[in-house]
Amino acid sequence: MKNPSRRTFLSAAAAAPAVHLFDIVPARVLASPAPSDTISLGHIGIGGRGRGFLVPEAESTARKPVTTNLGGDGTRGRTPSRSVALCDIDTSRLDKAASVVGGQPRLYKDFRKLLEQKDLDAVVIAAPDHWHALMTIMACMAGKDVYCEKPACNTIEEGRAMATAAERYARVVQIGSQGRSQPAAFQAARYIRNGQLGKVGSVTCWHYANPLGDWTPDAPAPAELDYEMWVGPARWLPFNSKRTHGSFRWMIEFGGGQIRDRGAHVMSIAMWIMAADHTGPVKITATGEPHHDGMYDTPNTMNVTYEFKNPDWTLVWAQPGEPSTELQARYGAVYRGDKGTLTVTLGDGNGTATEQKAKDYVAPCDGVQVFKSPGHMENFLDCVKSREKPIMHIEAGHRVAALCVLGNVAYVLGRPLEWDPVNERVANDDEANRLLSRPGRGPWSL
Amino acid sequence: MAEKETKFLADLQSDNADVRYSAWAQGGEMDPAVLPELAKLIAGSKPGVAKAAGEALNRLVHSVGKLPSNTRRQAVVRGLTAWLNPKQPVWVRTVALRHLSLVGGEDVVAAVAPLLAGADLREEAVFCIERIPGKASANALMAAAKSVPDDFKPRLLAALGHRGDKEAADLCAGLMQSPNAEIAMAGMKALARIGVKPSVSLSAPSTGALAEWQLLEFADSTLRYAAALARQGVTAEAVKLYQVALARPEEHLQCAAIVGIAKIGTAEGAALIFPKLKSSDPKVRRTAQKAWDSLKGA
Repeated sequence: MKNPSRRTFLSAAAAAPAVHLFDIVPARVLASPAPSDTISLGHIGIGGRGRGFLVPEAESTARKPVTTNLGGDGTRGRTPSRSVALCDIDTSRLDKAASVVGGQPRLYKDFRKLLEQKDLDAVVIAAPDHWHALMTIMACMAGKDVYCEKPACNTIEEGRAMATAAERYARVVQIGSQGRSQPAAFQAARYIRNGQLGKVGSVTCWHYANPLGDWTPDAPAPAELDYEMWVGPARWLPFNSKRTHGSFRWMIEFGGGQIRDRGAHVMSIAMWIMAADHTGPVKITATGEPHHDGMYDTPNTMNVTYEFKNPDWTLVWAQPGEPSTELQARYGAVYRGDKGTLTVTLGDGNGTATEQKAKDYVAPCDGVQVFKSPGHMENFLDCVKSREKPIMHIEAGHRVAALCVLGNVAYVLGRPLEWDPVNERVANDDEANRLLSRPGRGPWSL
Repeated sequence: MAEKETKFLADLQSDNADVRYSAWAQGGEMDPAVLPELAKLIAGSKPGVAKAAGEALNRLVHSVGKLPSNTRRQAVVRGLTAWLNPKQPVWVRTVALRHLSLVGGEDVVAAVAPLLAGADLREEAVFCIERIPGKASANALMAAAKSVPDDFKPRLLAALGHRGDKEAADLCAGLMQSPNAEIAMAGMKALARIGVKPSVSLSAPSTGALAEWQLLEFADSTLRYAAALARQGVTAEAVKLYQVALARPEEHLQCAAIVGIAKIGTAEGAALIFPKLKSSDPKVRRTAQKAWDSLKGA
């Protein structure tokens, strides 16, 4: 042990009190603020979805209106921001992204190195779902605010750990369920929360099925991909091009299928409108039928019922379910109250729509006021400045992801779950409780 | 084997995917005596058959998973434990460990623990034991942490930390003195997650050999430990830790200290937060303001 300045650690009884602990961490190591009107962004994961978040240098101060399918009504531009660091474990993507961004962004293969970069205010995480929790937590540890793609997490424990980390470091964490920032979601929320449907007893989602997935043989990972890092904390599987980039989501272990992919959008709006961001259902019942062949294990058809108490209402995720008769769309949700119904279609991109009656509705001055997001990224950047909670803050993100996770757990186990949304445990089900967390792998652990 | 099980195994190997599906959907109703045959099918070369066998196994395991007292559960666990035989293919043993992580009890740990010492399955073995509740798992992990090669000790410590095994606090504190920086930091991280004071004295790992990222983990572990002390009512020590964070130049450590102190919720804590209301850093200032508001009445 060469360090002569080593201090007694964490011992109240010690003569040298624990308060010296931080003194041995050099200040150069830890993040320092990057004071500027322009928010500096680092990007972790710059494949398909991640590419859409890049801010070209030429647009960094342009306050350019939203163009990336992230909601808002286009009436205001983006808070000045710039992409100054890019990270991906697929090197074929780095140079392409750098050319999109322009300037001289720093390029990384290891996200931990990106997080050490001092001049970053925030990071945008668009890595595969099984990385969301660790990357978010580690970003908070490094003092960065976080915009993390949906779904927030793959397990209940991960989501709770993310919320705890954000709280511990007072970081702003926005989950990328951008449906809440769509004008139609605002109109629906304003309409329903002001009692226009009466008491809402059910929200029923419909969505098309998960894909079949042919048999594709495992193969060596391509040289440009660090596959060991891609798997990261998840259980090891040999490389297969049909369950890696993008297609990972058709494996329950990695992406969880439509219920976790689109469910994190459609059910996010439902939880927001129903003011349930702080809680969860008390019972989850799931049925479904898998594809009879092919390499994916997410179910073809699926029907999950979530029962909420105080107030009592039911949320249903159905593949394919019954589409709305009011508006045509491949997926969406119907809100049913004792005075009427309202449809919100899609729930993610800018095609999200609702019925004319909600668009036309004007809330009374003394009615329920609903926050109108200027756009999902705009809202996040606003909150980076203001330190307020964004519209899809991590607690909400966790609660929505919990719906998706629990739906899959109930489907996989083939039995209903009695859920305690306060303690986040399943009653009288040993195996289900073990599935609420997942041990890490190698150096990756919560 | 009964006629039902014989047909089940035959149908799993059908060339018709719909027939295979009809069979695997009944996996939860089968006698655990089918497990040896399922192992052969899972290791086979036909992907459709291997999938059907794997799905059938899922249903068989899940059918006994709800309650430890389920009488069929022991038979399933015994059958899966037999899959750990070194003569079985590595993939079959891996599948067994993943399922035993869900339904295995303390009696399984003795069969799995020796795998922690081998290179080919140690990661799957720790995954399995980490998930099995009880002292047998903690004891196995602690014993292995003393004997496995150094490169695997951090993984075992992470498992103990993740499980929150209080009996491992002294072990973690001891390994924080390891000359191996990876082990020392793993000990610190695990202790912070366990969150109890060890009975032995504590010294921080040497920071000289730590990578920059590990120094962030160092600070994070300290904050986690402070939060754990506060939850246990050891508030004076927690506040001492937070006070140092409060004096650091890094705004996010100051914010973390403010949040932690506010949770303790004392007038003394409010006095520590008060100066931060005038911090030149807007993040610190806003965090302090929120904390101050939450402390009204303290």
